[in-house]
Amino acid sequence: MSPVGLEHYLVLGAVLFVCGALCMANKRNAIGVLMGVELVLNGANINFVAFAHYNPAFEIEGQIFALFIIVLAAAEAAVALAIVLNFYNNHMTVDVDSAEELKG
Amino acid sequence: MFHELQEHPGLWFVAATLTPLASFVLLLLAGGLRWALRPARESDDSQPLYQFLSGSQTHRISAYIATGAMALAFLFSLVGAVNYAAHPAHEPEEHSRLWAGHLDWARISVFSPSGSQAGAWEPEGAGRASVLRLGYHIDSLTIIMFLMVTFIGGLIHLFSIGYMSDELEPIVEDHQVHTETGHFKRRGRFGRFFLFMSLFCFSMLNLVLADNLFQVFISWELVGLCSYLLISFYYERQSASNAANKAFIVNRVGDAGFILGLLIFWSYLGTFNFQEIFNQIRCPVTNLAGQFAERAGEIVRANPLVEDREQRRLQVTDRGQGSEVLLFPIAPAENGDKQEQPWHGPKASEEVLTHVNPLSNQYGSMPYWLLVAGGLGIFLGCVGKSAQFPLHVWLPDAMEGPTPVSALIHAATMVAAGVYLVGRCYPLFAPEALLVIAYTGGITLFVAATIAVVMTDIKKVLAYSTVSQLGYMMLALGVGGWAAGLFHLTTHAFFKALLFLCSGSVIYGCHHEQDMMRMGGLYPKMKITALTMLAGVLAICGIPLFSGWYSKDAILAHAVGFTWVYPQHLLLLLLPLVTAGLTAFYMFRMWLMTFAGRPRDEHVYEHAHESPWVMTVPLIVLAFFSIVVAWGWPITDPEASTLESVLHHSQHASVAADFGVLPEDLELAAPFQARADLPQVGKLAVENHLLAGAMTTAVGALGIAFAFLLYYFRLLEPAEAKAQFPAVHRFLWNKWYFDELYSVLLVRPALTIASWCRAFDAKVIDSTVDGLANVTMEVSRWAGKFDLGIIDGLVNLTARVIYGIGDRLRGVQTGYIRSYVLFLVVAAIAIFGVMVFVVSRVIAK
Repeated sequence: MSPVGLEHYLVLGAVLFVCGALCMANKRNAIGVLMGVELVLNGANINFVAFAHYNPAFEIEGQIFALFIIVLAAAEAAVALAIVLNFYNNHMTVDVDSAEELKG
Repeated sequence: MFHELQEHPGLWFVAATLTPLASFVLLLLAGGLRWALRPARESDDSQPLYQFLSGSQTHRISAYIATGAMALAFLFSLVGAVNYAAHPAHEPEEHSRLWAGHLDWARISVFSPSGSQAGAWEPEGAGRASVLRLGYHIDSLTIIMFLMVTFIGGLIHLFSIGYMSDELEPIVEDHQVHTETGHFKRRGRFGRFFLFMSLFCFSMLNLVLADNLFQVFISWELVGLCSYLLISFYYERQSASNAANKAFIVNRVGDAGFILGLLIFWSYLGTFNFQEIFNQIRCPVTNLAGQFAERAGEIVRANPLVEDREQRRLQVTDRGQGSEVLLFPIAPAENGDKQEQPWHGPKASEEVLTHVNPLSNQYGSMPYWLLVAGGLGIFLGCVGKSAQFPLHVWLPDAMEGPTPVSALIHAATMVAAGVYLVGRCYPLFAPEALLVIAYTGGITLFVAATIAVVMTDIKKVLAYSTVSQLGYMMLALGVGGWAAGLFHLTTHAFFKALLFLCSGSVIYGCHHEQDMMRMGGLYPKMKITALTMLAGVLAICGIPLFSGWYSKDAILAHAVGFTWVYPQHLLLLLLPLVTAGLTAFYMFRMWLMTFAGRPRDEHVYEHAHESPWVMTVPLIVLAFFSIVVAWGWPITDPEASTLESVLHHSQHASVAADFGVLPEDLELAAPFQARADLPQVGKLAVENHLLAGAMTTAVGALGIAFAFLLYYFRLLEPAEAKAQFPAVHRFLWNKWYFDELYSVLLVRPALTIASWCRAFDAKVIDSTVDGLANVTMEVSRWAGKFDLGIIDGLVNLTARVIYGIGDRLRGVQTGYIRSYVLFLVVAAIAIFGVMVFVVSRVIAK
């Protein structure tokens, strides 16, 4: 058994990303979609941190980017939850399929 | 300013001319103010000042201003006349320094010779064709015209204050204009009347004052305008507006000739100034050495010998022959060599060098026929203004204007302007032109007198009498009686103004009744008017010691002298002689029908009354002058008239040269008298004056006797006489059918041509325009189709294609977040796929 290396982290990140993307595509509940978004972001985060760890050229940048993304995710969650709350006030539901006013 | 007047006493007359102009401007401003204040007057709560300015009080003041201006003008003229008598100027230079002046009014650089630059003007004389001048030149004729116009004009202004008093009312009812709701009502026009009268007086004085033909022409048109405005004073009456148009249009015919004459003389002589024109056409009386020139005062004619571009050689011919007229230098150079100067009065068959563009000390020439034509052109203007045959038709119709206008403009002054101008331009007329003038006058005086015999409208009788008397004046001028014609002009102005004012007083007293058939027996009702009118009637009939006697006898005397010299023109004696009898007959007929006998219309008689003093005072003054104005000492000697001898002072030497008529105190009378070859009209006229006087008095007495037989003693009934000769009466009653003749010859053809033009316009021009419009419409219809079908179709097609594409693409936008995420993922995978399969291969290469 080989030691844990960069490939493992990258596979973990890709798995997280795909899980998040599938979650976004399949969930009808808006909270579930937001969770999917978090998964995608964290999959990306794992990549940044892994590259920071294994590639000395990106040591600082990778960590700072990861921190940025965490802050970004927090802000995004705050805004998105506010939208969802308003959406709920208007439609008495959080089902994203009922938001179809933008349909062409 | 007073110093100026002492230096140039002629300026007194300029002041007299400008006074009525000032009155005109003042009245015009006042009229504008009244017009502006009219709304204020009509509202009740207006200021008292407004009420005053716009009320009838200011209306009345306008008359006082105009009358005062005339009085002032008369005063100025009188002062000028006294100055003239006190400082007689013998030398021409001294005369022109004291009594003439001019200012340049307009310069025309196009005509400046030798291509000088604008601003750099030629010295005096050389570029004179390029300058139009305003100026004055005073001689005794001017002074007499000034005194006459201002004096009679002032009296007529005074008379008008009374005669026009109806116009003071805020609302005037015109009984001769009918509308659907009764008589026509309008505002009073008192101020307007005096406004026009002031303008007229200014124009007339300016005409007399002018020292050049162009200024005369301007004034000529201005008096014509005033005449037009005043004839149509009651312009709501159809007859008045027609009469005004007729007067204006007939005068245009004459003025066309006037303009042609002006152009001929201007193009050949290069000046409008009277003195300069006469100096060029007529041989000077003395040559440079001061000797009497052999052909003094004559038109010197010549035949061309050699023609060159710049100069031609002429051979001077005898009197009355030759195709060219020799033009004399205006003035020789002051300090030139006198031997070189050609100003000596050439002898017959001498050869003379003339120049195409003569300088001030060289001879020029012009064709003789153009001299005759130019003279006849100017005379045609005078024919129109002085109502001579064949343009006399406007004057009787002009009696539609108020009676003071008839008296001032259409009897005393404006219509005499034609006679004045013929007299003023006398040296311009060649013998042929003078003969035309004489015959025109002869025909006019006879035709007009015969018509006057049958007229029953009191003003029409006087109008035809005016035409007839103007004919006398023209005849006098034509036969060489220069002073006699202008003498008659002056006396006629007095007694004809008197007669018209008397008729005005009768008309006013009879409440605007003009038909003599409804008058009669008015003597006890209006004694002053009747007696003053009798004075005028006696004067025009030529009763001894009345003013008309002196002047008419002088005319007849010259006619006798003329026919003595030229027996083939006997008609020029017979016509005025017969007409003297006719004149006496119709004037007494008028007086007797108006004042004597039994009243024909009780209604008119009942209401007749004498006029107020503002009207009778001018009558009395004019009657006094109608009697005494021609007196001399001794008063029984017709040759001794002071007025005539004063007029003789301004007679040009050409009258002496053409007719041998010599003023007694002409300085160079002796050499003229010594010439046996001159026609002895003047000498014969003096010799036969008594004969002529006896003949006219006898014929006149016959006419008066006939008038008394018919209209006073009733030995013959006028109605029977009428019934005896119905054809003659109808012919005269219709005024020799002149109006009908002109209607057939001129008016109808003009109307026919006009209707043809209208038809041409309606048919050809309009249909062309319509056709063009139709073509345009057809073309634009096709263009419209192209626009709608092809251009709009292309635009719509583009829009439709884009719409279709958009419609197809609409389905992509499902609105489901999940499907968007799916697209995102699919797209990302696709991009990865592309990168893996394409980009990696590219990199690998």
